[in-house]
Amino acid sequence: MMRRIDRRWVATGILVVLLLVAPSFLKSSYRLSVVTGGFFYAILAASWALLSGLAGQFSFAHMALTGIGAYTAALLGRDLGTSPVTGIIVGTLMAGLVGLIIGTLCLRLRAAYLALFTIAFSEILRIALLTEFQYTEGSNGVQLASLYPGITARGEYYVMLALLMGTLGLMYWLAGSRFGLFVRAMREDEEAAAAMGVNVVRYKVLVFVITSLIVGLCGSVFYHQVGIITPNTMQLLQMALVIAYAVIGGIESLFGAALGAFLSRIGLEMLREINILGLHIKFGAWRYAAFGLLLMFTLRFAQNGLLYPIINRFFQQQVREETVAKRKEPAEVQA
Amino acid sequence: MGLHPTVIVWGLLAGPIWGLIGAWGLPRVYRQKGLGASGAGTVGALAGFVAGPLLLAPLWYFTPELTRRWSVGVAALAALELYTLFAILYPDNLCVTNRDYVLNQVASGLTIGFIYALMAVGLTLIYSVQGVISFAHGQFYMVGGYVSYYLLQLLTDFNPIIGVPVAGLATLIIGMAFERTFLRPMHLGQIERAGEYAILVTFGFGFFLEYTTLAAVGPFSQKTGPFINAGSFVLGPLRLLPNRLVAAAVGIGLILALLYLIRYTWLGKGLRAVSQDKQAAAVSGVNPLTMNTLAFGIGTMLAGMSGATLIPVFTWVPWVGATAAVRSFVIIVLGGLGAIPGALFGGLIIGLVQALGAGCYPDPSKGAAYKEAFGLVIFALVLLWRPTGLFGREQ
Amino acid sequence: MRQKIQLFVLLIAVLTITVACSQPTPQVVEKEKIVEQTVVVEKEVEVEKEVVVTATPAPAGEAATIRIGGLGPLSAPGTVVGGIAMQFAMNLAVQDINEAGGVLGKPMELIFADTEGLPERGTSVAERLIQENGVVALAGEYHSAVGRTIAEVAHEEHIPVLFSETWGDFITETGYPEVFRIAPASTMVSKVTAEWLAAIDVETAVIIAENTDFGIGAVESDTKFMEEAGITVAEPIFVELGTQDFQPILARIQAMDPLPDAIRMNVTGENSYNVERQMTDLGLAPTEETVGIANQVAIQSEFWESVPNGEHWTFTLVGLPPSLYNETTERVATAYRGQFDTQPPSYALEAYDTMWILADAIERAGTTEPDALIKAIEETDIDLAQGRYYFEYTSDNPVPDDVPAFMWHQWPDPAVLMLQYFEKNQGPADAAVIWPPTYQTHGTSYITPGTTP
Repeated sequence: MMRRIDRRWVATGILVVLLLVAPSFLKSSYRLSVVTGGFFYAILAASWALLSGLAGQFSFAHMALTGIGAYTAALLGRDLGTSPVTGIIVGTLMAGLVGLIIGTLCLRLRAAYLALFTIAFSEILRIALLTEFQYTEGSNGVQLASLYPGITARGEYYVMLALLMGTLGLMYWLAGSRFGLFVRAMREDEEAAAAMGVNVVRYKVLVFVITSLIVGLCGSVFYHQVGIITPNTMQLLQMALVIAYAVIGGIESLFGAALGAFLSRIGLEMLREINILGLHIKFGAWRYAAFGLLLMFTLRFAQNGLLYPIINRFFQQQVREETVAKRKEPAEVQA
Repeated sequence: MGLHPTVIVWGLLAGPIWGLIGAWGLPRVYRQKGLGASGAGTVGALAGFVAGPLLLAPLWYFTPELTRRWSVGVAALAALELYTLFAILYPDNLCVTNRDYVLNQVASGLTIGFIYALMAVGLTLIYSVQGVISFAHGQFYMVGGYVSYYLLQLLTDFNPIIGVPVAGLATLIIGMAFERTFLRPMHLGQIERAGEYAILVTFGFGFFLEYTTLAAVGPFSQKTGPFINAGSFVLGPLRLLPNRLVAAAVGIGLILALLYLIRYTWLGKGLRAVSQDKQAAAVSGVNPLTMNTLAFGIGTMLAGMSGATLIPVFTWVPWVGATAAVRSFVIIVLGGLGAIPGALFGGLIIGLVQALGAGCYPDPSKGAAYKEAFGLVIFALVLLWRPTGLFGREQ
Repeated sequence: MRQKIQLFVLLIAVLTITVACSQPTPQVVEKEKIVEQTVVVEKEVEVEKEVVVTATPAPAGEAATIRIGGLGPLSAPGTVVGGIAMQFAMNLAVQDINEAGGVLGKPMELIFADTEGLPERGTSVAERLIQENGVVALAGEYHSAVGRTIAEVAHEEHIPVLFSETWGDFITETGYPEVFRIAPASTMVSKVTAEWLAAIDVETAVIIAENTDFGIGAVESDTKFMEEAGITVAEPIFVELGTQDFQPILARIQAMDPLPDAIRMNVTGENSYNVERQMTDLGLAPTEETVGIANQVAIQSEFWESVPNGEHWTFTLVGLPPSLYNETTERVATAYRGQFDTQPPSYALEAYDTMWILADAIERAGTTEPDALIKAIEETDIDLAQGRYYFEYTSDNPVPDDVPAFMWHQWPDPAVLMLQYFEKNQGPADAAVIWPPTYQTHGTSYITPGTTP
């Protein structure tokens, strides 16, 4: 019996090629940067989904940790003249370290308290960055060198794409491993998990550190591409958007969250204003209002997000088809 | 002061180091002697911080029963010592040299504290009945202000005080409608992972309210006329702002009314019953679902009224809610989640901390910018040290 | 799990293609043709480089309109009030220009983009305007920090940009050939204020500023000029935007002995009203002892709503005093009042003028080709709403060593005036012009609180 070639692999092959040549179709550096920004937010939303959806730790400090990574890289580059690579490494570690401290401090806190603590942390950090402008240049922001001299928008696209694939792969591997199992068990019932021999403290802290490292890395790379980091990055609005993206995509699924962020980001960018048949509509604040509404209704009526169920269905169908095919096969053999 | 820098450095370091030793060691000593160690960590930390081995050693030796009096005593000593240290380090600071200045800051802090408390009381009421922290509270406050503003655009000759009940009514209705639609399914068990759902759905609603208001009324700042058209008046060493006093008085009045409602009315009994035990309440004929809706509505009503009392005092824009909400979180955690008198104390503490922090911060160019941050630092510390709050019951 | 990743890859690919094939802002008018060519530059390392060339609109009919990119903050954290005023004024100007026959026989089209007050957004929207919408020049912007990043994009893409309200000295200091400015530099405003304070014998001053690029820059230049004028300046007080209660901070000033002779506000937007109101209520300023200088937002009618007892506040006004309005200014002011029920602030007038300056330059250049256009802007000499525009230091006349570097491509003559209210609910047209002496309307440099001239 011939083993069939898995169609999914063929599809993946084609897709990877498509993705790699996509920049040639995108042409302008503006469009490339929009998509690159979409990748960045996809990473943020996916890692937030890992932290809150899988591990049940409701952190509002995600953007703050991104900012810590980026600011560390920026200040090192400005004051010590280090290369972007050094900056990114130190920035990532710094975000991880802060994540370790927050994670350790908040061990005892329940969901709502953790949310409050991380809001306070982000706000203090933002105010301090604005106020200590002798060191941080305040709202002007710190400028960052490009990743390497002469990098093009296309280069930045590939860097961010690679980062997205890498971090998403890592997170999926984590979620599928024993680690993911333990973390999920803890979310459902911490005491039961502890009774089963899971080192609750270690895993709780670890998941915070890992997501902090991921966003620190992405933040320091992304803001090297943007060229400037300002305290406004850490505004609660930005954090709110990341959360909304993840929820709309599906908080239980890393992939759903990433896709939700990617689509929403590009959607928000394209929905700024629309000209239809001479009718000029400016969405401005309304698009955020609609976004809030979408968030609420998603939560209320589609707990798993809007995208995740669709994806799930798609695969279930595929599985069903295969099962049907497999059931037929023995019959054919018998015949 | 002719203090050698080394002395200062060691003086600064010694406190925290001995504090850590006390926090770590004293509970162990108590446990070893078979005594209850509750509060030993706190007292140990403070005692170590205040006097190092001088106070820790007798505590270790005699291990007295650590009542509330002990904690308060060492805390007062610690505060005194910190103040002395501050006075030595910054002898020219106004908070050291000028008593009237300090009194003024305390007065302004307490006034604004009552104003802050009103909003926080609403938030803590919601928590005590529903077990939910509303992340949309700041936006209800903002909406309350705007309701009052537009009402006074219609009734130009009236005092802005009439906006308070109307804003309260409007936010009561919005709050109850939201609760019925989005939070009730949670109490009916139709939602998985209710705790996280509550955070996100209230957050989403706040987001919606803020941007809808922004889109509808625009970003231009607005303000109603004052309660009393007078600048300020002098009372002994104090210089007071009458409009704020009115707002604070309204705040106190409403908090007292709420306490009366909760203590002495049937509705209050119902709310208390649900907050203590939902099932028992249901058995004795109180519908927990109705009480949930009412509690949420009253909570948002207080936020809206708080907004309406403040729009004559401060300039209003659609994003005023965010800062106010974060401040309310701080207050209710300080006061102990769900404790209404606690929220009042929390409000006063935050008012004082912000006023004295901004007024006494050594670098005058930064004191003002860090005003909100002072409260947040206290909050983070309290949250880590005692998540049940300063006035909350130990769990 | 793997399946999901695969599907993700698929969706990303589909999306990128969707984005590639769609214009972010679908246009009704015929799309301007954008010729794209990919040039592969070979050096030691193979570097791929994309060059986007905007079609030169020489043959008639190829581009239906001449497109100009407008920039300004339309959402928070930007100063939205500023962005809205600028957008309105630019639209008005474009309307006027098209009624007068357009540019090079074609209608002019304004595409206004929201920079949100975020430097990184500045980069992104400037790129979008140039690459996607094919604008031939950029104009506007309110925040200096955003202006800086826009200037970088303009320089890279070699497209002229005419800033209308970014005060930071650094905007023109770079000496980029593409960057022009018709707003005053921060330094020019500080100089006038300091001269006035010295003239009315102020000896000590306190500055309250927001902790943003604007506030920090203003404190630096204010302090410098005040100290040069012999005024003792106390440690500045920085405030965080969004703060409502300033009483604890103001108590610090109130405890000063003696009280300062002047308090200068460098806080923008609605944030300044809270400070000014509380300062007035506390009897701190303006009083007989202390001069209170508000930010130029005091020109807005909201000032009186927020500071009902704010008579005798002085404020800086950039631009002509209403008494010196010319025909153009009057027309803009009428339209502006019709929309916003208030006098146009300088940034609205400047935004209006930027459109005309660009239209005039394109007309003279006869083309929208960047080099010719930049040359034409350098040679500007035109009378508009804010007076006669010209640029003193250009490629033909570089900035000499003894002139500050920010004078490059800078309009040298923006009028900076000190105005003072002396009765409740006055409009800026009723306010007394008190400085500089040539413009004085009430024959005095300062009206002591409690008196009327």
